[in-house]
Amino acid sequence: MAATSAGRVLTLCRQFQNACRISTTLSAQQSTVTLTKGRSYPHRLPSTLLSSSWSCNLDLAVQCRPLHTTISRRGLEEFFDIPENWGEATVKSGAPWTAKQLRTKSNEDLHKLWYVLLKEKNMLLTIEQESKRQGQQMPSPERLKKIDRSIRRLDTVVKERENALRLLQTGQERARPGDWRKDVFGRIYWYRFREHALPWYMNRRYKRKRFYTPAFVAPHLRLRLEKYLRAKTRKQKKESENQAVLKEKFPQMQAKSQ
Amino acid sequence: MASRLIYPLYQMGNPQLRIFRPPFFLTLVRPGKEQPPDVVQFRIPMVMTKFDVRNYVEKIYNVPVGAVRTRIQYAQPLVIGTNKKRNHLNQKVKRPDYKVAYVQLAQQQTFEFPDIFPKKDVKSAEGSVEEMQEKFMEDEEQRQKPDPRRGGVTEWFGL
Repeated sequence: MAATSAGRVLTLCRQFQNACRISTTLSAQQSTVTLTKGRSYPHRLPSTLLSSSWSCNLDLAVQCRPLHTTISRRGLEEFFDIPENWGEATVKSGAPWTAKQLRTKSNEDLHKLWYVLLKEKNMLLTIEQESKRQGQQMPSPERLKKIDRSIRRLDTVVKERENALRLLQTGQERARPGDWRKDVFGRIYWYRFREHALPWYMNRRYKRKRFYTPAFVAPHLRLRLEKYLRAKTRKQKKESENQAVLKEKFPQMQAKSQ
Repeated sequence: MASRLIYPLYQMGNPQLRIFRPPFFLTLVRPGKEQPPDVVQFRIPMVMTKFDVRNYVEKIYNVPVGAVRTRIQYAQPLVIGTNKKRNHLNQKVKRPDYKVAYVQLAQQQTFEFPDIFPKKDVKSAEGSVEEMQEKFMEDEEQRQKPDPRRGGVTEWFGL
């Protein structure tokens, strides 16, 4: 699995920067965006902190150059919260990442953020399972929802970028090729292609799946269509009758109410 | 990659499949049965294999992994032996199965599952609502206690 590569540059969060200003001989052009790791500051930096901490580096780049440290050596401890939070009833956490914030981040940032969120979610799942085991309440279970939303939004943003790139480079609208096909019941649906090792005429299982409508189904197609049209007209009639009744009661009504 | 992974077909000579942004989440669990000190127990998604677990733990958590053993746990209904469990809508329910991985750490490392819920003496803040409530509850309890001078004899016995 692709992992966060070695040679990470620590981003100092706003609190840490206020605590100690360090000037190093590193050049200002060095990349200042990564996730925070390591226990060099007293409290844990939740991965759901707003992007303000990431962008503040550029302002303070002059006074405070990024610090290059070794990667975190916490190992399996990362499956648990910091020991200060063990036994607490609630643990403070920030808001989830919004798609708008994520769109401002570069691809490398998003890639690294994915792993931050992944580890956070692992930690929360561990705590949840242990709390069920011990019969205790998990502290702040809303963190799981926040992380889920962040992960989904990150996925959305990455998909958007991939879509855009693909459209520009190849003109293909979809990542996975497909086709409009009829199923046995006469319905037309979007069939998404799968990869096979054989050509279709040698694939027995594929041939059993019929992409045409047999002749005896034709009368039922008409009946289905009639049923659908009947339901549609019924709905429209009901709606217009409803509107008429309301109009009688409230003659000055103009907008169509739901 | 994405939440809905489609693995491309593998034929001999193809490059190694790599998944960027893996959508797999591991849960560290306390072992139900006694395990050796260097064994860590995880609940992993069904689609992960031993090699996946090894790469995952090594690359993402930087933990040296020796051996990985997996098994699939059938989630039995609470009344073991039957499959008649139904919910309040009279629908048959089945809890999802899960895969368990036993990861043996390399380099003679050991791991002991910590106690995440230690008893903490919570002292509420002065003048807060919680403190007043606690005080009230303590007073009530004191009022309900029987007279200590009776030496444990109940009120029923008169006098």
